[in-house]
Amino acid sequence: MTKGERGTPLTRLYDQAFRARHPIYASIELTYTCNLACYFCYNPVQRKAQNRVIPLSERREDLLSFEEMVDVLDQLKDLGILYLTLTGGEPLLHPRFWDIAQAAKDRSFALRIFSNGASITEAVADKLQALMPHCLEISVHGARDETAEALTQVKGSLQRQILALGYLRERGIRVFLKCVVTKLVEDQLEEIRALADRFDYPIYFDPVLTISDDRQLYPLELRASDEGIARLYRTSGLNIGNSPFEREPEDFNCSVGTGVLHITPFGDILPCVQWKQPVGNVRQTRIRHIWDTSPLLLAAREANMKSAQAIRDTVEDHAYCAHCPGLSQLRTGDPLRPDEQYVRVAQIRSHVAKEAAGRS
Amino acid sequence: MSNPSCPKRNPDVSWRSIEGQAVLIHNRLGEIQVLNELGTYIWENLDTEPLSLARNIAERYEVSQDEAERDLLEFVETLRASGALADDEG
Repeated sequence: MTKGERGTPLTRLYDQAFRARHPIYASIELTYTCNLACYFCYNPVQRKAQNRVIPLSERREDLLSFEEMVDVLDQLKDLGILYLTLTGGEPLLHPRFWDIAQAAKDRSFALRIFSNGASITEAVADKLQALMPHCLEISVHGARDETAEALTQVKGSLQRQILALGYLRERGIRVFLKCVVTKLVEDQLEEIRALADRFDYPIYFDPVLTISDDRQLYPLELRASDEGIARLYRTSGLNIGNSPFEREPEDFNCSVGTGVLHITPFGDILPCVQWKQPVGNVRQTRIRHIWDTSPLLLAAREANMKSAQAIRDTVEDHAYCAHCPGLSQLRTGDPLRPDEQYVRVAQIRSHVAKEAAGRS
Repeated sequence: MSNPSCPKRNPDVSWRSIEGQAVLIHNRLGEIQVLNELGTYIWENLDTEPLSLARNIAERYEVSQDEAERDLLEFVETLRASGALADDEG
C-alpha cells in the first residue's frame, strides 16, 4: 500500500488480512550476485574492500532451480500472496530472471523488482515494458559521480543508472527511487531529489543503515552525521522511509509474522528480509505448513504486536522512533530492544520538531 | 444473454482475493480496485460460461435469472471500462 492511503477500504482490508494472518507480501532473493559492490550492502557476498567473511557464497551450487522457483511461485499464490518482490543481489543478473518474472506475472502477482538499475540498457527496458511489473524500486547513491562510485565501487555506476531512468521513463514503467542517507550524500539531498524530479519519479530517503547479514557492523561506518540527519528532517518535501510500501504502525509494527515471508536463493524461508533466522526450507517443507505451524513465525508475530508498547516504554522520544523487530533480533537477539540507530534518529527528529515549534 | 463468450482478464492486472474481496492492481495505470462480494464472485468465476455463471448468481443470491444476467452484464461492462479485461475480448 502506498502512504497516504490509511483509512481507505484497501488499507482496512489489508489490516483485516493481517489480523487474520493472511500473508500479502513475499520477497525472493534470486541471487546474491551483483554488478555493484556497495560498501554498506548487507548481503554477505560480492564483497571487495570490506574485509568480510562470505559464508553463503560457499553454498552457491545450492541455488534453487527454475523448476523449484516455479513451484515456490505456485505455493505463494496458493497462500494468497499479492505483492511479490524479486530482489538480490541484482535480480536481473539471474540467468533465468525473465522466465521467473514472467512465471510470476502469469500467476497474477503484483510484481516488484528491486534493482540497482545499472544493467538496464534500452533492450532490457524494452523487455521490462513487455513484462510490465507493478514497479521497479531502484536505489541511488548520490547525485555526483564521485560519491556514487565511492559507495558502489564501480566506475560509471551513476551515469548508467541515469541512462536507465531515462529508458524506463520513456516506456512508462513505474519506478520508486530509494536513497539511504549516508555521510557520503548527506549534503546533497536536494540534488538527489532534483535527479529524481528530472524523471518525475518519487524518491524515498532512509536514514537507517542495516548491519550485514552476518552481523558485521562495517555498514554503520557510513552513517550520516547528526547534522546530516537533522537536515533530512528539516528539508521540506522529502519523502522519508524505506519504501512507499512501508506500513505505518497501527495494530502491528510491520508485516513480520503476520503478512510477509522471505525466501533466499537457497530456499531458506525467513520471517522477513531482515529477520535472518530460517523457519524452514522450501526443499523440505511446504510453505503453507511452515506459515501455519512455525513457532518462530508466531513468536515474530507476537514481537511485532508488542513492539509499539516496548518502544513507548523504553524510548524517551518514542513518538518519533521507528522500530524493526528483525533488525533488533539480528543485532541483539531481542526483537523488542530498540535499535540505537532508530533511537538516535528519534532524538534528532525530536530536536528538529522542537526547533520548528520554537519558531512558530 | 445470447450465448456470449467468457470475458478474459487483462494479464496486466494483478489480483488476489483477500478476506473475501478481490483486489485488482492495474500495473500500467498504477490503480487499485477493490471489488465487493458479488464482484469478487464474478471475477473469480470469469472462466465459467456466462449463462451458467448467471444461473449460479441467481441461486447464490436468490434473485431471478433475468436479474442475475443483468447484474452480470452490467458488472462485466464496468470491468471492461476500467481496463480489467483483455482488449481482444469481444
